[in-house]
Amino acid sequence: MSENYNDKLQELLNTQKAMEDAKKDPQNTVITKVLTFFIGDQVYGIEIPEVIEIIEVPPITAVPGVPSYIKGIINVRSKIVPVVNIRSRFGKEEIPFNDRTCIIIVSTGEVSVGLIVDSVADVVPVTEQHISNTPDLTGVNSNRFIKSILEMSDGIKLVLDVSKLIDEHAAEEFK
Amino acid sequence: MAKVEPGMESMLEMYIFETNTLLEQLDEILLRTEDANVFSQEDINEIFRIMHTIKGSSAMMGFENLQHLAHKGEDMFFVIREKPEIAKDAHFVYELIFEVSDLYKAEIEYIQNTGDDDYTPTDFSETFHKLEEATEKLKAMENGEAPSASASAPAASAPAPTPAAEEGSMTVRVFFEDGCKMENLRAFLLLTKIKDEAEVISCTPPDVESNADTAKDIIENGFLVTFKGFDGNNDAVIKTIEGAVNVESYEIIDTPAAPAEEKPAETAPTAPAAPVEKAPVQEKAPAPAAAPAPTPVAKPEAPKAAVAKAQDDIKKANGGQKQSLISVNLSKLDTLHDIVGEIITTESMVIANPDLEGLELESFSKAARQLRKLTDELQDTVMSIRMVPLAGVFQKMGRIVRDMKIKLGKEAELVLEGETTEVDKSIVDNLNDPLMHLVRNCMDHGIEDDVNTRIAAGKPEKGTVKLSARHSAGEVIITVSDDGAGINCAKVLEKAKKNGILTKPENEYTTKEIQNMILLPGFSTNDTVTEYSGRGVGMDVVRSNIEQCGGTLNVESEEGKGSSFIIRIPLTLAIVEGMKLKVGDTIFTVPISSIKESLMVANNQLLHDTKQGEMIMIRGMCYPILRLHEKFNMPTEVTKLEDGILLLVDVGGKNVCLFADKLIGEQPVVVKPFPKYLSQYNIKAQGLSGCTVMGDGTISLIIDVNNLIS
Repeated sequence: MSENYNDKLQELLNTQKAMEDAKKDPQNTVITKVLTFFIGDQVYGIEIPEVIEIIEVPPITAVPGVPSYIKGIINVRSKIVPVVNIRSRFGKEEIPFNDRTCIIIVSTGEVSVGLIVDSVADVVPVTEQHISNTPDLTGVNSNRFIKSILEMSDGIKLVLDVSKLIDEHAAEEFK
Repeated sequence: MAKVEPGMESMLEMYIFETNTLLEQLDEILLRTEDANVFSQEDINEIFRIMHTIKGSSAMMGFENLQHLAHKGEDMFFVIREKPEIAKDAHFVYELIFEVSDLYKAEIEYIQNTGDDDYTPTDFSETFHKLEEATEKLKAMENGEAPSASASAPAASAPAPTPAAEEGSMTVRVFFEDGCKMENLRAFLLLTKIKDEAEVISCTPPDVESNADTAKDIIENGFLVTFKGFDGNNDAVIKTIEGAVNVESYEIIDTPAAPAEEKPAETAPTAPAAPVEKAPVQEKAPAPAAAPAPTPVAKPEAPKAAVAKAQDDIKKANGGQKQSLISVNLSKLDTLHDIVGEIITTESMVIANPDLEGLELESFSKAARQLRKLTDELQDTVMSIRMVPLAGVFQKMGRIVRDMKIKLGKEAELVLEGETTEVDKSIVDNLNDPLMHLVRNCMDHGIEDDVNTRIAAGKPEKGTVKLSARHSAGEVIITVSDDGAGINCAKVLEKAKKNGILTKPENEYTTKEIQNMILLPGFSTNDTVTEYSGRGVGMDVVRSNIEQCGGTLNVESEEGKGSSFIIRIPLTLAIVEGMKLKVGDTIFTVPISSIKESLMVANNQLLHDTKQGEMIMIRGMCYPILRLHEKFNMPTEVTKLEDGILLLVDVGGKNVCLFADKLIGEQPVVVKPFPKYLSQYNIKAQGLSGCTVMGDGTISLIIDVNNLIS
């Protein structure tokens, strides 16, 4: 399964040059690409530059004394990476892992975190016209991790702000 | 402005390292001489050597401000060298040189941390001025005390422009490689090297050190140097020239030109080593110039002897073992260290491979044992490479005590103990700040403000701050202690209450708990913020710094007698021999060094205390039981003590039985820190020191028994 997703990432890298070219076209400028995934029925997205890889769920070692949404730590090629269950992070009920469950490893500079998601959907190019104006929801807790909202033909996608999601201070407030 | 000339970047790191080392040496000498209140000839020569090297290398790197700073410092010591007695009680000299040393350190740190384009050299003109003033003052003192002193100064006017001839001397013309840049400084470095081997009589161009324009001249005509080897042996010098960096070719000009023989007679036959030390010499020239003729033969002897002696000292300082030591970039060692860690993990992966289970493989086990022995050796060797003595860090503290003594007006001395104790380099680097803070705390808060208080308490007037280090059972114990006032528990408690960091009723706190409160964030007992301590961020930063390198910090104090801060740091940072335990689905690793024994229990050995705490009697001793699954909140099916296993652990005399489902086995494990993301949750306080990847790729949590119990 993970190979497929990694293939998709690879494919994306190949098309990056094409993206550059497309940028020159003002009509249909691809600003960025977004990896989309499901949490229940809702589609979320993470901007591709922040994604390191997608892996299957390995055995997770629980760590005591951390918030319940931090499921523990995993070993990714000798690197220890903490994993966060997006469901419980967003206050949703956790569901048992199935064969579509996977972990998206994201990184903001020094900090790498694995995000457990129900399933990965697609990689979509984002153009200016897709982005709808985000209502000003500052201070409303449920929306603080949303970076932008995409209106696409197949539905609305919420792009997550990874740095906020794994930002220590944000986590502090959440406690 | 770019920091260094293009092509010199690779030298920068070396320069920084070297200069820092030299500055530390300088501090050490100064502290020693200040205590003794006298400069010995060797000390002065050593200081000269240091200043000179810094000057030379700063010039080579193009840091003019640093070069001049060293030059002015040299000027000052030039006066002192003539008459070391004048420096006695001249505290301004020490103040100034310490200031110079500090400026250097600051500037070097600035150079290190500043991007190429943002670098602007700091202006040291104020210090230049001070140094000049001090030099004048010293000169005045010198002349005032002994007007005749300057007469014995090495007489020299301008350096001899042409090679001076002398019996047994040799003149060599050296050409440097094309485009190697800064030929003048390379020539200067060469000159310094030659001086180790021979007496340099003259060189052309003479002012290579300070005059960058001479580079052109050197490119065109070569660098001409006339020297006379000690013991008349010039071969060593030729070898030195051959071996020097960037030297392309050299030619030996055998017989000095005839006019050269006449000239020195007219000007100054007494100018042997003068060319490189012009500036200070010229200022003092008048006295000898008045009477150069009467003593042309007798005089050269004295300076020559001095020069020879200085060179001997330099040789001594350089040490005989120079060739057996190399300096290695730490990052290479880190990589090596990581690789060894991986090898050990992989070794376990192979030897404890599940595929081998149940097989009788005699020769395999034999080979495996051999491999294990070698990897153990490899690990020990790599560890030992990284070990450095604590002396360097400890000696820096001498400086802090000295400065604070003056600022705070307290009498105190620093006592060092066990400074030869070796610890991992990365620990040494991390220890500097915490130790500095602790020493400052001892000086500021520990040692009493009023000497009378000390006398009344029957303590010597002079306070003592003690730094000690020793090895103990796989860890290094570093203690910073003072014989001051100790921690006032009532005051601490009151303060803690005011700051709202109490978590239970006041009277439930033990003395030890109260003392350790000062390590909590936002706690400061000093009522006023001072320059050195009292901002209330200190102690918890110290604690977290120490925890970062895997250590712990404890406070012990007795009111009226003093306090000790005890730092415990595991010796081998990264690899521990561990016992694997299973609790539910989780594998824990307990360092073998803290395990006393493991045992199964029968129900009749169990006791219950009044709080329903479980205890066990083993051979007449009673130990509390700590259920790991309860402590870490891990679901497990094994909850009856009879079904699982107890592990008696011992930390610093405290014994506790840990209860786990079962033992899995021993394994050396490579300790990895928890990922950064988790650092906000203080997992260490829960009793876990890190995690490790096991042979099968799963992760095991490493228990830190010390924190687990407290």
